Amino acid sequence: MSASRLSCSVAIIGSWLALAPPTSFAESFAIVNARAYTGEATEPIERATIAVEEGRISSVSANGASPPGARVIDARGGIVTAGLMGAGTQLGLVELYSLKETADQAVAKGPLGAAFDVQYALNANSTLIPQARADGVTRAMSYPTGSADLPFSGLGALLRLDASPDLLERPKAGLFIVTGGIAAMQGAGSRSAQWQLIRNAFDEAKRYRLSDKVRGPRDQLLNHLDAEALQPVVAGHMPLAIFANRESDIRQAVQLGKDYGTRVIVYGGAEAWRVAGLLAANRVGVVLDPVTNLPSSFDDLGVRADNAALLQKAGVTIAFFVPGIQQSHNVGTAIREGAGVAVAHGLPWSEALKAITVNPARIWGIDDHYGRIARGQDADLVLWDGDPLEPTSAALAVYVRGVAMPLDTRQKALRDRYAPQHRQDPWPPAYH
Amino acid sequence: MLDPYPSTYRPLPRVDTLITGATVLDGAGHLLAGANVLLRDGKVAAIGADVTAPAGVTVIDAQGRWVTPGIVDIHTHLGDFPYPFASTDFNHSDVSETTDPNGAHTWAEHSITVQDPAFEAALAAGVTTVQVLPGSANLFGGRGVVLHNVPATTVQAKKFRGAPYSLKMACGENPKYNYGDNGRFPSSRMGNMAGYRDAFLEAQRYLQEWEAYEGGKGDEPPKRDLKMDTLAGVLRGDIKVHIHCYRADEIAELLDLAREFGFRITAFHHAVEAYKIPELLRQSGTCAAVWSDWWGYKQEAFDAIRENAAFLDAAGACVMMHSDSGIVGQRLVLETSKAMAAGQRAGLDIRKEHAITWVTSVPARAMGLGDRIGTLETGRNADLVIWSGDPFSVYTLADQVFIDGALAYDRKDPRRQPTSDLDAGLPATRSQP
Repeated sequence: MSASRLSCSVAIIGSWLALAPPTSFAESFAIVNARAYTGEATEPIERATIAVEEGRISSVSANGASPPGARVIDARGGIVTAGLMGAGTQLGLVELYSLKETADQAVAKGPLGAAFDVQYALNANSTLIPQARADGVTRAMSYPTGSADLPFSGLGALLRLDASPDLLERPKAGLFIVTGGIAAMQGAGSRSAQWQLIRNAFDEAKRYRLSDKVRGPRDQLLNHLDAEALQPVVAGHMPLAIFANRESDIRQAVQLGKDYGTRVIVYGGAEAWRVAGLLAANRVGVVLDPVTNLPSSFDDLGVRADNAALLQKAGVTIAFFVPGIQQSHNVGTAIREGAGVAVAHGLPWSEALKAITVNPARIWGIDDHYGRIARGQDADLVLWDGDPLEPTSAALAVYVRGVAMPLDTRQKALRDRYAPQHRQDPWPPAYH
Repeated sequence: MLDPYPSTYRPLPRVDTLITGATVLDGAGHLLAGANVLLRDGKVAAIGADVTAPAGVTVIDAQGRWVTPGIVDIHTHLGDFPYPFASTDFNHSDVSETTDPNGAHTWAEHSITVQDPAFEAALAAGVTTVQVLPGSANLFGGRGVVLHNVPATTVQAKKFRGAPYSLKMACGENPKYNYGDNGRFPSSRMGNMAGYRDAFLEAQRYLQEWEAYEGGKGDEPPKRDLKMDTLAGVLRGDIKVHIHCYRADEIAELLDLAREFGFRITAFHHAVEAYKIPELLRQSGTCAAVWSDWWGYKQEAFDAIRENAAFLDAAGACVMMHSDSGIVGQRLVLETSKAMAAGQRAGLDIRKEHAITWVTSVPARAMGLGDRIGTLETGRNADLVIWSGDPFSVYTLADQVFIDGALAYDRKDPRRQPTSDLDAGLPATRSQP
């Protein structure tokens, strides 16, 4: 293809981008003529007016009037959804995985096990944050993984991807645990020992509270940091996110939650479809990988492409993450593509959208203010140039709590330096 | 030298077939609406709106569906990094012989587990031809092999007869970390270059000795050396060179290396910075095999952009998509779709009938098989896919997949859905709900 075939679509995109008001505060505005997928009904609201005041959605209605004085943004029939949520990322914790000095997701050594808390490492200037936002993500769970003190990984944080220096929506949002064959191999050697160690830790954490005035040595494996970190878990205040793929481990996870009165979230869940009824009955949410249909290990021999569809049909609350290379660096496109793949394998479209918006919000307990397009919810909104579950579509405008986010990324800066239009320029790209 | 591990491939049982009323992307740059495709004796016999069914031919109505050539994946580890990953693979994976930075004597085909279920998953996704490469831990990773993606109990029964061998090389972080971390050579990028140059110098001498002997000089044949056999094959032009390389500056050094020793590099793989040097690639006739959007998992992948493929294409350089992953390999047209969309958004006019070549005819030509697969031109092997809809959409699945005219996969017919032995006899699995 020759450079002379460059079209004028840059200009067209430019006019769309002008929709985003260049403000850093939450002004009142209304998006009109939107096709609004609210996360509440299966069908969209056509020609919707979404009014936003002080960072919150004040009304949503078909053909509704804009509030007096509010700036009006015409979506021209385009799809508007809630901002997306990455239910499993390491946003803010990782820049380049191979450079350990830029990767803070795991503890290599030292006394921190369950107490390892990722909140202090979060880097709002990470190049991954604008990329995630430009791809439509406004909320994320950033979780610890692969720590030295298996099976405990530590405490994850909920992020809000606004342009503030503080990404934190909620620190210590949940305790993460890794179970399964590979983790057992790297840790205690048997998965049975894994579950025993978890149960013992919970028992010790409970006794620790009762016996904290006792002097002298205790016959206790947990140090005080970890014992204290487990207090909200054994008190039933903090959810327990358990990576488990084999059916036997998923059943152990559910039983653990029942025995200790702790709310369990299953991450991975390759074989969760085998126990869909049990998960639904115990209200255990599953954060699953919708694209991996081959067994990563012998734990996953039952992995299948319609896991999401089977779980949803059984009444399980599902959310999506795509672990591996795409997990954080391309979280927005990866979860949208994953949701699309799940649709191709039987999940209804509206449920797939929920699995990357309101469902992870519900699983992590922030659905009272985020995840749907509804009165009173934070105005996390994305206007798309096409079907958001097609990874070829892009966000035209992204709002977090009513503030339009810049959509610039490092990749776009590189793209502009090396664009074909510059090819005849005698000055090196460093001058562009 | 004759191939000591010859192909025993035989096409699957087949019947002549006419596919009617499809939207066809022919892999040669055309979109044909409402076209019929006749498959006869394992070849594409005719294509066009007015092609009719001879007597006795099976007719498949493809109205509303799309047809493309079979998908060609030039960078896979199917079988040499098989699913499920096992703890024994942590230190002894079959994908790389990690004890010697020159692994030119190792052949990927000797590592292949034919029961890797990723073969069947790729087939169900329309992938009909794969190149299986060794890993990137070494300067010279070893020989790659081209396979028909048909289920078989031996590697030889999958081998694509007459396909040239390839040599996998790697630059940058992987070889220098693999060896440098253990206090061995190479530990730097200049060490990498020195390693290539030393080896090719030796290969030049080896080739001269053999050419002298073959020219009648001397009574005793020179001593054979398996590494040098491969590198001499590169210098002779018999073996195609594929190099794992991310950074633009390193790619440029390797193009000079090829000039220094007089061989051709077929493709740089991964090549996330290829967009920085499109002219160099175009002038040397070297392809880039890339992903749509992978970045950031390592330092040399920091500068990736989603317009990489589109910018190369716009400059007239050869570009194609690859997977390197049994999961991504199931969505190579979607990879193409994402790369095309990024280019369109940057103002480039890229059509589906052109972009589909990035996963069909371009990799086929790069493998030296451009006259046999990769397009639906008359006389080509009848490797093709009938898609449920537009293959550039995430919602589209492969309905039927033909290899050499045989229906190797049918989404609606359980008898034409091959499964790996891995799945046999297990409690309900992905293939047996």
